[in-house]
Amino acid sequence: MRLLALASRNLKETYRDPLALGFLLGFPLVFMLLFGAIFSGDETPNYAIGVIDEDNTPLSQAFVDEALAQVPVLEVSTYDDTATALRDLKFGDLKAYIVIPDGFGQQVNSNWQGDKADITLNITYDESDIMVSEQIVTIINATTRAFAQIEVPITINAEPIYIETEIDYMDFIGPGIIVFGILIIIPTAARTMVSDKEKGMLARLLTTPTRPIDFILGYSLGLVLLAAAQIIIIMLATWLLGLNMTGNPFLAFFVFLLTSLCCIGIGMVVASLTKTENQAEPLCWLFAMPLAALSGCWFSIELMPSYLRTFANAFPFAHTIEASRAILIRGVGLEAISYDFFFLVGWAVAIFALGVILFRRSMRS
Amino acid sequence: MTSQNVKRAKAGDDFAIQTFNLTRKFNSLVAVDGIDLNIKRGELFALLGPNGAGKTTTINMLCCLLKPSGGTAQVLGYDILKQPFKIKETIGVSPQETVISEHLNPQENLVLIGKIHGIDTRELKSRSQELLETMGLEARAKDQVRKFSGGMKRRLNIMMALIHNPKVLFLDEPTLGLDPQARRAIWEYIIRLKKEKTILLTTHYMDEADFLADRIGIMDEGKIVALGTSRELKTGLLDILEKHTIVIHAQNFTQKVISEMRTRYAEVEVTEDTMVISDKQLGFQEIVDLLHISGVTVSSAYTKEPTLDDVFLNITGKELRE
Ligand SMILES: Nc1ncnc2c1ncn2[C@@H]1O[C@H](COP(=O)(O)OP(=O)(O)O)[C@@H](O)[C@H]1O
Ligand SMILES: [Mg+2]
Repeated sequence: MRLLALASRNLKETYRDPLALGFLLGFPLVFMLLFGAIFSGDETPNYAIGVIDEDNTPLSQAFVDEALAQVPVLEVSTYDDTATALRDLKFGDLKAYIVIPDGFGQQVNSNWQGDKADITLNITYDESDIMVSEQIVTIINATTRAFAQIEVPITINAEPIYIETEIDYMDFIGPGIIVFGILIIIPTAARTMVSDKEKGMLARLLTTPTRPIDFILGYSLGLVLLAAAQIIIIMLATWLLGLNMTGNPFLAFFVFLLTSLCCIGIGMVVASLTKTENQAEPLCWLFAMPLAALSGCWFSIELMPSYLRTFANAFPFAHTIEASRAILIRGVGLEAISYDFFFLVGWAVAIFALGVILFRRSMRS
Repeated sequence: MTSQNVKRAKAGDDFAIQTFNLTRKFNSLVAVDGIDLNIKRGELFALLGPNGAGKTTTINMLCCLLKPSGGTAQVLGYDILKQPFKIKETIGVSPQETVISEHLNPQENLVLIGKIHGIDTRELKSRSQELLETMGLEARAKDQVRKFSGGMKRRLNIMMALIHNPKVLFLDEPTLGLDPQARRAIWEYIIRLKKEKTILLTTHYMDEADFLADRIGIMDEGKIVALGTSRELKTGLLDILEKHTIVIHAQNFTQKVISEMRTRYAEVEVTEDTMVISDKQLGFQEIVDLLHISGVTVSSAYTKEPTLDDVFLNITGKELRE
């Protein structure tokens, strides 16, 4: 009863605040429309890439002919040696070239047999053209994964391989944008709690029989409901803008919701360590924005130095993007993302525990 | 149980609020310095003092927001250190700063506090309706309060302390920063609550304490420096000062009358139509008769009362308001 009253009040305080709502929904939607517009319609870019097949197995050939060739934004030509490809790259005739090394076919085959094996592709690209090479790497990466992880036991020569080739830009950007939206829960959560502290609402409620646990659950419940609504809206928007939801959207929703719990926890920690909204809010953005970039919300992080990736992987968001891409685009189930999933669960529990301890302490006087 | 505890529990029957050497320090600053108060049930007690006197700190300790550094207090017989939640169930607090939920409407603000106190929805509805009507906010019951004027917010701030019908009410500077008209409205409402509830009110407006309070504790630098009814405090000052003053208005003071009065009384000051007479002892009737016989047409005469400001000035050597 007390808990519900507090949760409903917290919910109203946020959704009736146009600014807060604008951040939660407007920000990610604008990003999405922007990216969507850039890569929509006739303006689809065409990237010329070269392929040198050193593996030369039926599988590697299938990869080139079936998978790569059917990606709409790629214009694939085959080369016999790297020297020619490199020359064309230097002349600007190619944006990048891929060398399929010896053993590729075997690696893919192991994956198909259920043994997780690393797949190696060597990509050479023009470093000066960052955005383009970035996207090519992302596209090739996704195509390769789609190719390697199809879970049907097949004999290559006998049957044609069905490959998901409809690589829409929204498929890459969608999960990242949703996670970016969820990251905005951090400042929202911190603001809700700190402003109650700053403006005396917390003190006022502490003169009533409200227990500390009522506060914490009241805030969390309100924010979780808000996050759930936000996730649903952004997921719907990405879907309308062309995200192919191959997998189970409910599983993806659950992964996103777990992530939002982590964000509420982070917000609670920030709110405990600060005294005013003016301290809390910039601190949250300072935390959320770089992390959005490092976790791959807006562009691929395949090329990021490994120490940065290690750093990003210590937080939930790269895992969410990874897991939700796997679910939504590749259609995998819970087992395939269990590592990321349990990482998220562990993170949510840990940060919530920390938040509760710190926030309780900050309530005492 | 020690005998002292027994005594305290018994005393709790007569007193709604008792403090025992209640002290609070902020680092080296002693904000509340060992105060002992006994506030009777149904009494409206005002803590009067300048900013920084320690009034808010006292209230915050009594409503279990702030732990005392020394001493303790009881509210309705419950100890603030041992049974804070018992106290929180029975009190209503209107904080010094207006604290309301800005994006909720007044009704929702009241319902929030009511539900926290476990009042059922139906009763809450009728109670909030009633409060909104008496406070003159029923027309705006569905508007978000962030659009309200200062006076309206202030009234809601007080209503939120009343929605659960508490036995003991703490009003911290209830009319802070309001215009005279809005202050009047709140005073009238507080007057109506008297007797029904025990009220501890703090203020730095002496007229507010004078008008509302049954008893006044004058507070300065963490200490209660004077305690009593408004009348007691003022006559007490007169006794201390040994100086009474009578003010007379008349049109025709002659030089002869003025000299005559000056021989009789210690201080006589005349400005046009006003004569101010002060001395250790003054007979009101005697002075009026004397003037009458001398041919002065007295239009009005009154004994000048000291104000609480004067009381404060006399005790602390400072003005209540700078
Ligand atoms: N949280 C606090 N930290 C440090 N000093 C405080 C705090 N609260 C109040 N004080 C100090 O204690 C004194 C009494 O303050 P307060 O009780 O608010 O006075 P009043 O309500 O009578 O104006 C003031 O000097 C004030 O600066
Ligand atoms: Mg105060």
